[in-house]
Amino acid sequence: MSKEPSTPLVWNLDNVRDVAESVGISSLSSEAVKSLAQEVEYRVGQVTMEAMRFMQAGKRAVLGTQDIAQALKVLDVEPLYGYESTRPLRYGEASLGPGQPLYYIEDEEVDFEKLINAPLPKVPRDIVMTAHWLGVEGVQPSIPQNPTTAEAKSSELVPKGPGANPYLGALAGNDNVSQKPLVRHIISKELIKYFETVVAAILSDDIDPKIVQGRLNALNSLRSEMGLHQLLPYFVQYVTHKVTMCLDDLFVLDSMMDLFDALVDNKNLYLAPYYPSMVPPVLSCMITRNLGPGNADDEIQKKYDLRNKAASLAGKMVVRIEDPNNKILERLISTFLKFFLDEEQSLATHFGALKGIFYSLTPEKKRRILTHLIEPFDKEVLTPASRRTGEKTVEVTMLIGAIVQNIESFETPIEARLVANEPEPSQAKLEKYLGPVIGSRIWIYNRPVLNKLIIKAIDEYKAYTKAQKES
Amino acid sequence: MANHQPQVGANGLPGAGGSGPQGQGVQGQGQPAPSQPMTQQNLNQIVIDYLIKKGYTLTEETLRRESRMVEDVARGIRPSPAYSTRKYSLAFKLLTSWVDTNLDVYKYELRRTLWPVFIYSYLDMVVQGYSKEAIDYLHLFKGNFEHQHHDVLRTLEKLSSPAQVLNDSTAKLYRDNKYRIPLNYTAYQMLLNHLELHSGGGPDVNNGSMKREDNGGQVVTYILTTYCNIQESKRGLVDKFSFEALINHAHSDSLDETDLREGIPGAFEGVSNQDMPESKVVLKLGAMAMETDLAQDVRAQLEDEDLRNPPGPGMISLVNQFDMTIKREDSEDGPSRNEIPLPPSRAHDVAMEVQKIKEHRDRLKIESRTGGVGPAVSVCMFTFHNTLDAITCIEFSDDNNLAAVGTEESYIRVWNMHGASLPSILPDTPPSSSRRLIGHSASVYGVSFSPSIEYPGSDYANSASTAPKLLLSCSSDKTIRLWSLETWTCLVVYKGHEGPVWDVRWSPFGHYFATCGWDKTVRVWGQDHISYLRMMVGHDSNVNQIAWHPNGAYVFSASDQVDKTVRMWSFTTGECVRVFSGHIEFVSALECSPNGKILASADGGGSIILWDLAKGTQIKRCRGHGKGGIWSLSFSVESTVLVSGGADGTVRLWDVEVPAEHKISDGEVIGTGGQGDATRITNSTVSGQAVATSAAKKKGKDTTITPDQILAFPTKKSPVYKTKFTRMNLVLAGGCYLPTAP
Repeated sequence: MSKEPSTPLVWNLDNVRDVAESVGISSLSSEAVKSLAQEVEYRVGQVTMEAMRFMQAGKRAVLGTQDIAQALKVLDVEPLYGYESTRPLRYGEASLGPGQPLYYIEDEEVDFEKLINAPLPKVPRDIVMTAHWLGVEGVQPSIPQNPTTAEAKSSELVPKGPGANPYLGALAGNDNVSQKPLVRHIISKELIKYFETVVAAILSDDIDPKIVQGRLNALNSLRSEMGLHQLLPYFVQYVTHKVTMCLDDLFVLDSMMDLFDALVDNKNLYLAPYYPSMVPPVLSCMITRNLGPGNADDEIQKKYDLRNKAASLAGKMVVRIEDPNNKILERLISTFLKFFLDEEQSLATHFGALKGIFYSLTPEKKRRILTHLIEPFDKEVLTPASRRTGEKTVEVTMLIGAIVQNIESFETPIEARLVANEPEPSQAKLEKYLGPVIGSRIWIYNRPVLNKLIIKAIDEYKAYTKAQKES
Repeated sequence: MANHQPQVGANGLPGAGGSGPQGQGVQGQGQPAPSQPMTQQNLNQIVIDYLIKKGYTLTEETLRRESRMVEDVARGIRPSPAYSTRKYSLAFKLLTSWVDTNLDVYKYELRRTLWPVFIYSYLDMVVQGYSKEAIDYLHLFKGNFEHQHHDVLRTLEKLSSPAQVLNDSTAKLYRDNKYRIPLNYTAYQMLLNHLELHSGGGPDVNNGSMKREDNGGQVVTYILTTYCNIQESKRGLVDKFSFEALINHAHSDSLDETDLREGIPGAFEGVSNQDMPESKVVLKLGAMAMETDLAQDVRAQLEDEDLRNPPGPGMISLVNQFDMTIKREDSEDGPSRNEIPLPPSRAHDVAMEVQKIKEHRDRLKIESRTGGVGPAVSVCMFTFHNTLDAITCIEFSDDNNLAAVGTEESYIRVWNMHGASLPSILPDTPPSSSRRLIGHSASVYGVSFSPSIEYPGSDYANSASTAPKLLLSCSSDKTIRLWSLETWTCLVVYKGHEGPVWDVRWSPFGHYFATCGWDKTVRVWGQDHISYLRMMVGHDSNVNQIAWHPNGAYVFSASDQVDKTVRMWSFTTGECVRVFSGHIEFVSALECSPNGKILASADGGGSIILWDLAKGTQIKRCRGHGKGGIWSLSFSVESTVLVSGGADGTVRLWDVEVPAEHKISDGEVIGTGGQGDATRITNSTVSGQAVATSAAKKKGKDTTITPDQILAFPTKKSPVYKTKFTRMNLVLAGGCYLPTAP
């Protein structure tokens, strides 16, 4: 575990050996030396801690020899004599060799005769007490006894931060004290106004060209404005709220998708923290079971358009987000697949999920994830549905369209090279692999490369599952 | 929970902890550890025998079953030798990373578990004889705790052999007491869950094919159950209001009052004793009622005085003032005179009470702050020159005439503050404006004047002297001395403390005094007894500060280094009635407010904490002083303003009533507005990062000043040793001019 070298002892091992030798113990095992050094270190620490107390009790900032002496005394150890001094010890340095300095305390020899005959040292000056006004009625008088403002750095003495009383600062002779509002999140009036205007413009469904223009302007502003960070949470919150409340109002939903779209487009915004909150409303628009009661043709179309739009928005968000672990993408895809594979869901939901997959994934990933799922889907969902209502209904058509769209997108020039040497599959094989409904559709497209790709992907999958089973 | 219970028991077994000293068992310290499971078994056998004898078959059966279970689990937990040191760092890393990746709202709660797990792991390793690994471990992780726990780290990192751990007082404290961790219920559940997930499953799983690796969860569980006492509470994690503050808090340098305010005993710092009293003891915080005879005498004299000097316009008569004072006293719950017997009042007591009322009426009134207007307080500074840093304490007498200093040269020196001569009643003493009191044989660390009040003047009918007659001093020579200020000689030597006596204070009414010292005790003495009357024991290390409650019924004491708690003792019973913990540096000053409801304590790190005595909770923390120690605190007469002076050479005034709003202080981006924003935000982010990256590197000039500071007066290179509000609300400050000091 300890890759780091063990921290060396502060106390020098040689020191212990030297002392041992000085008392006549010449051979000391290294283990013993180490233990002794550890012990010495611990004791030194203990004495220092104790000495600190005496320093604090003496209200001093410098640890002195007398503190050590006192500490030794309370620890019941004989104090070191001869070091008591009020002036700092002076250390001399001698060299034992290159890089081996030896430190010792300079202890000058005093000639006894000289000491006796020397004149008495000067008596230190007596302690005297003086009084002055440090503050008069809350203001410090500028008299020589008090520090000047420059010395005192008076600005450092004034409280800063919220709640600081500027009046008190002024009282202390310091006028320009800034004050902070106590409110947590303050949005300037302009921003609030902006928010209201934008939201109102986006939600106005008048077809008056002026108002339509206003709507576009609002969205454009959202796309490019710099200072919107402050409003971001409010927009996200607003959209979430609106989508939840107006799940049957296509216009509102659509506008909200527009709003998000604009925000996602805005390169000045740092959206990452908000993605988790932005995803749910988008998902709602994509895969909710029922978007409103309307059954008129244009309404149905609008519904599908909205699902599509939301799906693409999701795809866009996935691209825009710089999420190294693709956590959000992972979550999105698992949601899509869940809805896609749940045969209980409405066809429209399947549609939304498929669209989501289409927009969010690269061709290669789509091919890997989706291909082998299509045949069971065809069998479980599509065939029964088309038998029930006929292939011509909007739901089935749209769904088939979505699947085909996905499949179609598998083909890219790079992929094409992969299957260049594969044999071309027959229609029967394709239908077997993709299910009758989809298989026949794809066959109609007559795109050999794509067909080959599909077959290859499914074969690969089969081989993989087989290998899995065996192991 | 349910399947944790047996583990608690199992881990409680000494056998699981002292799992064999590997190799270098030093001085046979390891011997008891392996032998203890035996004892445990023997004990079980004895109990079972007893139960059989008594015929308690059901109990016996249960015990058998449970003890078997305990042993099984214990066997499962016992780590393999190769694994025994690595597991600690694994465990700590597991905990840290989990806490760090957790939701922000839980982080603050969960971080509390880090320190105990860390330090107990370290001690465990040392005790098991892996001193080298222990030191590696310590150096690897200690950065996280450098700020909050540097004292303990300094002490414990020197420990390198089991013997030292078992003998060192701090380590002993840690190992003998359970570390209390108040945790929110949800956070606690999460913690348990996580630890279970990473505990590598039971023995069956280990032997089976699954082989789930233990990532250290077991060690953490073991440490938490063996050495800690987790107190789950139902309180919410954070309420909406303090949410941000809390997050900020976890980043910022110190733990704070959030918890204490929520009524959780702040067992945060140092080690809390198990005998921590609940803050349930009802306190008598009212003023002590005046003796009836004395009150009558005082009233008569005040009436007399009112007649002679009728109150000016806008002033109330002295008698009215007296009645108001009395009424206030009656309305509150004060201690009775029987509990604290005092000598019968004398003429000079009457004179003092009269003068008190007079001064109280004529004082500079500092009412609670209205409209943000600060009080116009004046500060008179007394500076001592040529001291060579030998002065340890400064004290002013209550009559504002005398100043006394204690020195490291073992003598006490008393000055007349006005430069007048100090009279002596002994014949043949030359007059002098300062006198030395010589008698101690080691540094003097505390002096205290007996209660006194300014001399009312000779035109009073009762002209008994109100000057202080006595001075107390305590010293490193283990003694307390009582000096006469009339003869300037030593009257009594009180012996009893076993070690240096750090502080001494007269009770507010005289006669009694309290001392505290190196021997971890607080003692209360009567002036007329040579031995102490009460000895209060409970602090875990040196007691270095002491203070009286204004009604004389309680004593406060503060401890240093490891303990850092402030305790409140009842004088009458000698019991500890409150424990306040929250300081992270040694406590350097203590003072109780004149209204008896608030205690202020200051520490070496420059923060002052105000405590609510009745509730036993923290009110707020005032920050502004630099590091090095705040040596003195004093409240204004109305208890609305606090003055402090410290080693940073400033005298500061604090508003007691401004609530602690600094939760939202720096380090946080709060919308826009305010011109100073930009700089502050950048500052704070920088410091925030510094905290995040290395706690050791911080602590530069980032002293924050809380908004409740009213004024700050810097001095000229003079650390302030004493600040004092007089009864007229003038501030006296005393300091030593140290031109060489930083």
